[in-house]
Amino acid sequence: MKKRNRKVIIIGGGLAGLAAAVRACELNMSVDMISYQPVKRSHSVCAQGGINGAMDTQGEGDSPEVHFYDTVKGGDFLAHQPLVRDMCHQAPAIIHLLDRMGVPFNRTSEGHLQFRRFGGTLFSRTAFAGATTGQQLVYALDEQVRKHESEGTVTKREWHEYLGAVVDDQGICRGATIHDLRTGKIFTLRGDAVILATGGPGNVYSRSTNSTVCTGAATTSAYLQGAKYANGEFIQIHPTAIPGADKLRLMSESARGEGGRIWVPRTPGDSRPPKEIPENERYYFLEENYPLFGNLVPRDVASREIYAVVYEQKMGIAGEAMVYLDLTHHRKEYLEDKLGGILDIYRKFTGQDPSETPMKIFPAVHYSMGGLWVDYEDDGHGMIDQNSVRNQMTSIKGLYAAGEADYQYHGANRLGANSLLSCIYSGLLVGRAAFNYSKSMDVASEDISSSVYEGEETIWNNRFEGMKRMNGKENPYSLHSELGELLLENVLIVRENSKLSSTLEKLEEIESRFKDVKCLDTTHWSNPMPSFINQLRCMIQLSKIITKGALLRNEFRGAHYKPEFDLQQPKNFDPHEYIDYLERTHYEEVNDSDFPEGHLDYMKRFQANNEKWLKTTIAQFKNNGPEITYDEVNTSLITPRPRKYD
Amino acid sequence: MKFRIPDRYHFLLLKLHSLTGIVPVGLFLVVHLAFNSLRTVGASQYQFGIDIINNIPFLILIEVFGIYVPLLFHSAMGFYLTFLAKPNIKIYRYPRNALYTMQRVTGAIVFVFLVYHVGTTFVPKMFYGKHLFEAAPFLIDIMNQEFETWGGRLIYLIGIFSATFHFANGLWGFCVSWGLIVGRNAQRNAGFAFAFVGLVLTFWGVATVWEFSVNPVSVEPNM
Amino acid sequence: MKPISLKIKRQDGPNGRSYWQTFETPYRPFANVISCLQEIQKSPVTREGKKVPPVVWDCNCLEEVCGSCTMLVNGKVRQACTALIDNLEGPLTLEPMSKFPVVRDLQVDRSRMFENLKKTNSWIDIDGTHDIGEGPAIPDQDRATAYVLSECMTCGCCLEACPQFTLDNSFLGAATFSQVRLFNMHPTGATQKEKRLEAVMKEGGITDCGNAQVCVEVCPKKIPLTDSIAEMSRETSLLSIKKIFNS
Repeated sequence: MKKRNRKVIIIGGGLAGLAAAVRACELNMSVDMISYQPVKRSHSVCAQGGINGAMDTQGEGDSPEVHFYDTVKGGDFLAHQPLVRDMCHQAPAIIHLLDRMGVPFNRTSEGHLQFRRFGGTLFSRTAFAGATTGQQLVYALDEQVRKHESEGTVTKREWHEYLGAVVDDQGICRGATIHDLRTGKIFTLRGDAVILATGGPGNVYSRSTNSTVCTGAATTSAYLQGAKYANGEFIQIHPTAIPGADKLRLMSESARGEGGRIWVPRTPGDSRPPKEIPENERYYFLEENYPLFGNLVPRDVASREIYAVVYEQKMGIAGEAMVYLDLTHHRKEYLEDKLGGILDIYRKFTGQDPSETPMKIFPAVHYSMGGLWVDYEDDGHGMIDQNSVRNQMTSIKGLYAAGEADYQYHGANRLGANSLLSCIYSGLLVGRAAFNYSKSMDVASEDISSSVYEGEETIWNNRFEGMKRMNGKENPYSLHSELGELLLENVLIVRENSKLSSTLEKLEEIESRFKDVKCLDTTHWSNPMPSFINQLRCMIQLSKIITKGALLRNEFRGAHYKPEFDLQQPKNFDPHEYIDYLERTHYEEVNDSDFPEGHLDYMKRFQANNEKWLKTTIAQFKNNGPEITYDEVNTSLITPRPRKYD
Repeated sequence: MKFRIPDRYHFLLLKLHSLTGIVPVGLFLVVHLAFNSLRTVGASQYQFGIDIINNIPFLILIEVFGIYVPLLFHSAMGFYLTFLAKPNIKIYRYPRNALYTMQRVTGAIVFVFLVYHVGTTFVPKMFYGKHLFEAAPFLIDIMNQEFETWGGRLIYLIGIFSATFHFANGLWGFCVSWGLIVGRNAQRNAGFAFAFVGLVLTFWGVATVWEFSVNPVSVEPNM
Repeated sequence: MKPISLKIKRQDGPNGRSYWQTFETPYRPFANVISCLQEIQKSPVTREGKKVPPVVWDCNCLEEVCGSCTMLVNGKVRQACTALIDNLEGPLTLEPMSKFPVVRDLQVDRSRMFENLKKTNSWIDIDGTHDIGEGPAIPDQDRATAYVLSECMTCGCCLEACPQFTLDNSFLGAATFSQVRLFNMHPTGATQKEKRLEAVMKEGGITDCGNAQVCVEVCPKKIPLTDSIAEMSRETSLLSIKKIFNS
């Protein structure tokens, strides 16, 4: 047989896409890279704090196994464990790789990598490059891809948009439909594998910490074509963001990693300038409520606490929805060196200097733990079979997903500095999987009948022509804002079933109003309007996945908080009791008297809840909406147990 | 600009542009101003200076290959660079940008001035065949005439100022573009130092103009 | 409060003629240029009441790390996201960058910058992505210098403001020289040092810098671009002298 050059199409040029491209190039695949904009401007550049990898360089006793445990616990045990474990074990190698690529990671006095502490762990395992680690990582990988591009193995198509997968009658993905954002031309590309590394869907909420391109349209398009979407309701709310009209700008967790303290005045409505409020009149609520982890509790916990302080205890600064994040106890030079980049952002957008005045922050939509369902294959020893073609494959054969676009690694809540890791890990993994997969296929995409591609082109051309002809009353951008407001109000930190079900109804309303949208620009050159209408169509569908998933999941897990289903963990509860309890139930009756009062009841509730809800939410597109089912989670390595951070 | 310098010569030619501005062209300026300033001491001392120069062996070769050719090369490259650029001092009003713009403007002024200056001194001298000791009285007479009117004085003042500015600022540019001064502070300090050099040269020139203007004295040939 | 007035230079395509339109949006505290443009999207009507297609512009991160939304605000180049209305003098004018081909309205094509990075081998040549252990130990001071250079987001402010950089010449510009310095500093990157230096010793290379030093004034990331240029001048000068004696 003639030796063929296998071809992979990578959608998205953020960390996952770039990592996949580098890996695929090394395996001699030819790569087509599709991106909205120059890949160097991808949303991954916004990641600030760092990347986790347990190297225990400070002699604290850290190890990849502890990292694994922290990640699984941080995600409230909803993540498939072999994949997380493999990732944590490869993390040090990934950081070394990035270091070799020239990422200017901060150094120790001896010239080695320096690590700092991040949320959800007691160890210093976050490598960082100033306060713009994501940017530095993207640049390093972008440079590697540029090298391959100059050698001719990568063809970058920037200013292009992915519309959908080309799926043949056997249900196998054979390429992708692409929209040239300049000429408006719609065409198909043949590919032996297609990788969606298209990031998160933050813009469904209209205002979030995400970039404007993070609409989730690509993943939703795959879902509309039949791919499973998993854990959609798990949306991470970052506790510290700078409120703004166009965007809620992230204030990195590294601000707390470097000693930032969160507080509000003890007297509600106290309108004195923060520096004039004496120490004993400040309420450091995270430090008081979580003495062990303090300000570095996981993000879901911190966001809920801030929410409660502001809305339940009505203690927001001067009655407004904001709390202080205080770094003023540090020297200015120290802050500039460690956090310069993010403090600059605060300065530029508020005009105040964080080294002199405490910052005012509030939680904001930040990351989607959910995403396209993707497969993996473990090696039977609690790690991943690196050569499996199943790794990162969606439920459509030949269509892969990686990075924030997939649902793995983070369970119900992501720990800080794990996203960069999971993006690069899954990117490298998917590069190899796509290679092995395309090698394993007897029929290459080149041999597929062109009618398959032409058919898909026609569908999309018609769809876009239709959208251009839309001449109703609704402004799509205004409708998008309304959609966002609806979700921000009802599907955020605290979730109530009554609100969720009314939101679902309102989403139907928005969907019918969507049909009355007006395409305000019908020109043919660099016209973003039809694209946006298509993205809005996807965002409405995605909102349904998120809202319905949230409505049906009647429990409190990670970022998904429903107060009425809170299991009410007793104050003095120790998670080890639960392990003890599970062991004992194997060979004897357990009695109330074996545990402190109320604990057994709680543990029984916890166990029953896990049996029912420790499952992956699977959404499939049926009857113009998501049909929700549940799948088992692989918890074979660490026994799920109650989370506790105090 | 469609004209292109082949890549293999580009670096060399532009480096030479920068170098010729200092040596020999800049060096000549300093020597020229220095000898001319002898006029402030006295006409005969000045005449003595001219006589020394005019009696240098192979003077014409030195003048052509040591001054005129490098000068023309420096000017040609300077115009080439200027036409590649698009000055924007109106929008970006920063001191260095002003100096950058001035460098190009003064370069052009000096070029025009030199055409005039050479045309009224060197060319007649060659034309009348004034060599050795005849040159000084001839040139001094010409200069006396040049400085008779305010117009003539103004032309020379503008010419001198442009030349000294172009040279002093060019010294700074030379140091930066050869990588002799790299850091921000070093560049700023060097800027002050070269500004001082420029002031000294300007003073020399202005003093000479002053002397010619207020005290025109003719001389007889020395033998 | 008075509404915000924005005079925007528009152009329908690369070969089209540019024209001005003025829009008004209600004043909001902490508004930036982007949020005004977003408001215009929601009701694209000029001040004269004419319904027009919404203004097209590029943006992405909105926190000044991606470099997308670079444009001329009141004539000067900067990122539109950090252009807070309260800090600007009205009426506002918005124009596309003038040193890059206009795509449409405020959108420009900056691919020349990325091509320049290719021309100068702006990457570290690693053996592969497999695990071959730690990278080289680097003193933290060197890391600090490299980090500042590495913050360049290829926004093009330095080139827009550079009098030597024009639409139709081949000048590489400050951003590229600074990247060459960055990669030459790295212990592994230094293996290709001469190749990179030679790439900036051609037409449009380091010699074409006129030291107007506007680049360093307008750089939103405060990258010491003029240090980089001088440093590269030194390196190329030394290399050329070395070549005279070693060839």
